[in-house]
Amino acid sequence: MTAMVKAEGVHKSFGPVEVLKGIDLEVRTGEVFCLIGPSGSGKSTFLRCINHLEKINAGRLYVDGELVGYRQKGDKLYELKDSEVAQQRRDIGMVFQRFNLFPHMTAVENVMEAPVQVKGVSKAQARERATQLLERVGLGDKARNYPSQLSGGQQQRVAIARALAMDPKLMLFDEPTSALDPELVGDVLDVMRDLAESGMTMVVVTHEMGFAREVGDSLVFMDGGVVVESGNPRDVLTDPQHERTKAFLSKVL
Amino acid sequence: MTDKFDKETDGARSAAAVSKDSGAAVPPAAIKAIPVRHYGRWVSGVVVLALVALLVNAFATAEKIQWHAVGDYVFDGTVLAGAGRTLLISVLAMVMGVVLGVILAVMRLSKNPVTSWVAWIYIWFFRGTPVYVQLLLWFNLALIFPMLNLGPIYKDEMVDVMTPFMAALLGLGLNEAAYMAEICRAGLTAVDEGQTEAAHALGMSHGKTLRRIVIPQAMRVIVPPTGNEFINMLKTSSLVYAVTYNELLRATSTIGSTSYAVMEMLFVACIWYLVITSVFSVGQYYLERRFARGSSRNLPATPWQKIKVNLMAFSRERSSTV
Repeated sequence: MTAMVKAEGVHKSFGPVEVLKGIDLEVRTGEVFCLIGPSGSGKSTFLRCINHLEKINAGRLYVDGELVGYRQKGDKLYELKDSEVAQQRRDIGMVFQRFNLFPHMTAVENVMEAPVQVKGVSKAQARERATQLLERVGLGDKARNYPSQLSGGQQQRVAIARALAMDPKLMLFDEPTSALDPELVGDVLDVMRDLAESGMTMVVVTHEMGFAREVGDSLVFMDGGVVVESGNPRDVLTDPQHERTKAFLSKVL
Repeated sequence: MTDKFDKETDGARSAAAVSKDSGAAVPPAAIKAIPVRHYGRWVSGVVVLALVALLVNAFATAEKIQWHAVGDYVFDGTVLAGAGRTLLISVLAMVMGVVLGVILAVMRLSKNPVTSWVAWIYIWFFRGTPVYVQLLLWFNLALIFPMLNLGPIYKDEMVDVMTPFMAALLGLGLNEAAYMAEICRAGLTAVDEGQTEAAHALGMSHGKTLRRIVIPQAMRVIVPPTGNEFINMLKTSSLVYAVTYNELLRATSTIGSTSYAVMEMLFVACIWYLVITSVFSVGQYYLERRFARGSSRNLPATPWQKIKVNLMAFSRERSSTV
């Protein structure tokens, strides 16, 4: 299997605070890759580096063999133009903790927006596809509702449909269920499980250990900006090797 | 008083009778209590009415005011043309202000230090000097640039270019742009950063993100103060009197000074200013509703809808009592 995401010594600082202190990892194509760890461990920051919402300070980050945010010529790195970064992001879907749906558009308009504006798909075609996607996430009857008229779980499922509308090769999930009422979490996880079964490559930052164990193919435990432990989710979650991992899991499980 | 009391006890007795008869669960009878008396409201109301009456009397009986002149001139052709020009210059200056204001706001928030500084200096100058002075500066521009020379495209005497209309438009419009820039900047920064991130994550460019995602949401914050600005503009436009543009105030004043009806013509001007600002206040209300789309689950009813609902409830009540 080839690597969809490859990180080599990724560092990231916000001012004087070093958030990522050299991350090395590999996400294989088609797998569900879970990132867990306490808050402030840098897992969300790392996720945001993958689609260049954050610029890395050192190291190399590749998506599908392509350097993220830079072009390498010889041993020199050139920053990509905004339009080129946008081009790279087209293929990477992202789902946010706080949904970030566009509140002035209906659910179906949210899903149609990027295909029409970025890919130049015709409105009729985009609407048809958007309707299908909304049905796929179980919201066919909510197409005309504005986000404020939807529950958190419904909003997050619209957000997933919105990301899928760009036919991404990689999906990033940034704590997709953390802002939801407990009883709404299941619906969103069901959609993500379906997506995993369809073969989508997914990087998931999550606190849902059940989801990680059941659906995840790989799991990484991060703390203090470094990868502490990684491996098969079932092994790591049931038999953690490091003290730090044990301490964390004993609190959340 | 006793009458009312009797009726109330009658009502209570019959309600009790009903509940005894039916035996089933009856909704509790509506409370009929004597409301708190607000004597202060009555007293202050009388005082205000008395003061208004005195003021109206002073105006109505003023010997030097010929009230018929007000009526004669309200629909006078010159006055109407003046009101039309006031409206025209205000709308055009406002359009100029909004367009330039949005551009300046985007420039100020830009990562490019040159554009952001240019915008800052523009706003600093045009907000820092009085409109009146700016109007006069534009009007007298020919003193610095006697010729307007745009190379092969256009060449003319500045005096011919800088007509009263042009001076008024540039003076009001460019000044307004500085204020609109600050309003727009506040609106743009009020939009949640997650919106920009979501749009960028979908591969949208900066420009598209701004046009499709950020600006439409900023409008909700921008529209109410912009309505205020426009209503302000309608009145500020009276300053272009100074550059001899023949708007409402100049038109009425000219008639006033030739027909010895100065006060009367100022009343006429007031009437038209009030009419125009009132009409636009209503327009602003509906515009705000339009941009509140999606931000609240249920839009509040418009006054007209409220009237309809009330009328329907009233007729239902009447038919039920009959």
